[in-house]
Amino acid sequence: MLLHACTQSYKVPDSHLRIMDQLCLAYSTIILLLSSLLYILWRAFDYQRNRNCYLLDYVCYKPSDDRKLPTDLCSEIILRNKRLSLPDYKFLLKVAVNSGFSEETYGPRPILEGREECVTLAECFEEFDDCTFATLDELFCRTGVSPAAVDLLIVNISLFAPCPSLTSRIIHRYKMREDIKTFNLSGMGCSASLIAVDLVKNVFMSGKKRMLAVVVSSESMVHWYSGTDRSMMLSNCLFRSGGCSLMLTNDPSLKHRAKMKLKCLVRVHTGADDSAYSCAIQKEDDDGRLGVHLSKGLSKAAVRAFSANLRILAPKVLPLRELAICAFRELRQWGSRSTGKKANAPVNLKSGIEHLCLHTGGTAVIHAVEKSFGLSKYDVEPAKMTLRRWGNTSASSVWYVLSYMEAKKRLKKKDRVLMINFGTGFKCNSCLWEVLRDMKDGGAWEHCIDYYPQQNLVNPFMEKFGWINDDNVTIP
Amino acid sequence: MPRSTTSLPEFSTSVKLKYVKLGYQYLVNNFLAFLLVPVMISVALELIRLGPEEILGLWNSLHLDLIQIMCSVFVIVFVATVYFMSRPRPVYLVDYACFKPPLTCRVPFSTFMEHSRINNKDEKSVRFQMRILERSGLGEETCLPPAIHYIPPTPTMETSRAEAQLVIFSAIDELLKKTGLKPKDIDILVVNCSLFSPTPSLSAMIINKYKLRSNVRSFNLSGMGCSAGLISIDLARDLLQVHPRSNAIVVSTEIITPNYYQGKERAMLLPNCLFRMGAAAILLSNRRREARRAKYRLVRVVRTHKGADDRAYRCVYEEEDSEGISGINLSKDLMAIAGEALKSNITTIGPLVLPMSEQLLFFLSLVGRKLINPKWKPYIPDFKQAFEHFCIHAGGRAVIDELQKNLDLSPQHVEASRMTLHRFGNTSSSSLWYELNYIESKGRMRRGDRVWQIGFGSGFKCNSAVWKCLRTVKTPVEGPWSDCIDRYPVDIPEVVKL
Repeated sequence: MLLHACTQSYKVPDSHLRIMDQLCLAYSTIILLLSSLLYILWRAFDYQRNRNCYLLDYVCYKPSDDRKLPTDLCSEIILRNKRLSLPDYKFLLKVAVNSGFSEETYGPRPILEGREECVTLAECFEEFDDCTFATLDELFCRTGVSPAAVDLLIVNISLFAPCPSLTSRIIHRYKMREDIKTFNLSGMGCSASLIAVDLVKNVFMSGKKRMLAVVVSSESMVHWYSGTDRSMMLSNCLFRSGGCSLMLTNDPSLKHRAKMKLKCLVRVHTGADDSAYSCAIQKEDDDGRLGVHLSKGLSKAAVRAFSANLRILAPKVLPLRELAICAFRELRQWGSRSTGKKANAPVNLKSGIEHLCLHTGGTAVIHAVEKSFGLSKYDVEPAKMTLRRWGNTSASSVWYVLSYMEAKKRLKKKDRVLMINFGTGFKCNSCLWEVLRDMKDGGAWEHCIDYYPQQNLVNPFMEKFGWINDDNVTIP
Repeated sequence: MPRSTTSLPEFSTSVKLKYVKLGYQYLVNNFLAFLLVPVMISVALELIRLGPEEILGLWNSLHLDLIQIMCSVFVIVFVATVYFMSRPRPVYLVDYACFKPPLTCRVPFSTFMEHSRINNKDEKSVRFQMRILERSGLGEETCLPPAIHYIPPTPTMETSRAEAQLVIFSAIDELLKKTGLKPKDIDILVVNCSLFSPTPSLSAMIINKYKLRSNVRSFNLSGMGCSAGLISIDLARDLLQVHPRSNAIVVSTEIITPNYYQGKERAMLLPNCLFRMGAAAILLSNRRREARRAKYRLVRVVRTHKGADDRAYRCVYEEEDSEGISGINLSKDLMAIAGEALKSNITTIGPLVLPMSEQLLFFLSLVGRKLINPKWKPYIPDFKQAFEHFCIHAGGRAVIDELQKNLDLSPQHVEASRMTLHRFGNTSSSSLWYELNYIESKGRMRRGDRVWQIGFGSGFKCNSAVWKCLRTVKTPVEGPWSDCIDRYPVDIPEVVKL
């Protein structure tokens, strides 16, 4: 329009008009291109800014030694329940024998001292306080961060959610700021620590400002099942006390102090399937006693959830070559389905990662993963030794496995660590970390790492109660 | 103000003051307009006077190079793009649904007292509960879950799950029907229920019932008290900032069944008298096409946590009484602490929502107190300037009274809260949604109106959310008030004699 007005009043000759037209066109295209280029650069910059999630440090809880569960105490606790019949005792001792635990796992105080049928609220709080305040004190001390600097606090404990929430309890203890953002997750099972990390990652990415987050992941083990339903007694035998605290940040200036960087996180929920949903469910037995029922379909649900997770995780983690091989195998399997041949060559996970932190759900889980992925003894050693030393500490188990690797000085700069967690629902969560500097803290393993890996894998329960596997014997 | 014996001079001074106040507010809030409009008018007049040829002559005399023009155009375009693209994604509230309890669950006063007498053998406790009920502000139509109607109540895991399924699934079914949303389109699910946290979680229960996708991002918040609804909204908003083109469902509820206190401790009997069954399901979205049919847009969420203070932390506390029965202990300082928590919250939210006139006054009073005379009374900003509607958590009569006093609200402003307390009782985190539905059902919600939701919770937390109405809500509104809105508002006496 400007041009038109110009021509109206100044009567520019036609040839000049055409040249000016072309010049204007040229200039406008250049501007548009520059504009779009700068916009793309701005978006990339904006994307990078404060979006990374760094793990500054983490602390795993080591309970006091008077809480250890040696074989004598275990059998004493089992035999305390007078409602059980002989086959039930045998069943429980079998579970204990096959658990893969050593005599050094820890139990909650009320259970050890014989008060499992009348646990008070105060004792639940005491168990939480012991674990949380010990780990948080150490975490704040090691990182040099003051509690008042924390912007985001997440607590995940599945079986205990009092009012006021456990996040408020921590805020009260450490006198944290008024504008702190808190979330108290509950009921999310053994996979909850990765869900908490997912939450932190999302808040970091949405806030766009520099934040410090603390995640406390633990479990309340005082909920003892005192009935006679076998599927519910399993949880009594399999879970042990433990917990951890993590400190995460998206502040790039703290990157040099951070241990690991989060690369990706995948969550899969198979709750839509009824059998997956009800394979681990808290309910009352026929006598009205509350417990967590673990059904026989648990391993199948875990496998399905894991494969669904792997399908999404693999393209993000594995190199192109391995993905191509997998795709080729899939096609071949699809093609050979008509002939009935089965191709079950394992996916080479090690091509994309250096270390694997597997949830210590039990010997069966670890063995299954070892076989399906063709992993070596070295790869599953951290998980096996963690199961042996600490038992199944629920959501915090992967952090104990990580701590083992760190104490053994296996974690070097640029290594990639894959954490896999399972949980009720049925969920499978996995996340990939990149190690930012050589990690060498002993952590909770400091006092005993030199005794591991234990070459002589004597199962103390097998030694004492191995006769239980003989069907003909009776209990004295 | 000088006192006068006759009424007329008082009226005239108050009227004069009112106009002065109005004039001041109008001036300060539209300051920029007052500044720019005369300038623009004079420029326009000048342009008309000059005529097109002279303007062109002026333009050419500037000797602007084509390059310079193009560069300035480019800078303007670039800055505008950056500005528009770095704004946070808008979060729309497409619609929400509240659970309407069935008539069979009603607990009129007579039923409540009869059950109380039979279940609780202690005379003093029964009398105490009666006194609380008389002054509670609750009506005769509030509802308790079926398990509590049994004599004695049967608070098992199974009956708690049954209550959860009843309230949550009803609310979600209604929400899906209202919005036409398919379960497979749900990307984010946030559930908050303070006092009932089964394994698997309530979010897993919803995923199982509605067969949601396996990559749905679910979170289950627990233990966070009556303000947890706004905490869930905050979480959903954060997630919607990160994930584009997503739908989020927030479910707020409180499950009464496992928490019915059956002991004798008075402070723990209070929740029995006040808490009632309720649930709400809210659909939030950041999809642009939902903007057309969305009811509200989320403007802000502000959270304040007073847990660092001992008194605040202990004022709503779950513990065991002397007989080992667990219940929620409400301390006597609850009102005072609520007032303090509110003050902290409005200190943060004030500058973000108040118009310039109020902020200026507040700033001047602050400066005056600091520099001139510390004895000046602090100026409490008038929040009625910033919001048209208020949804105050119907925690109890005393809470609503306290807030009405602190914020200097009229009875009409707190009517929604009082009537919700009367009709539904204290439904914990979902009460704010019942109140919002009341305002809509009364036909008071107009396009452009701003709503302030305030929730209090154990810990002690005070959370607020500010919404802006995007389209006038036409009556009649389908919801829990649809069959009784014409009876409201009712006059609630101070004491109902039982």
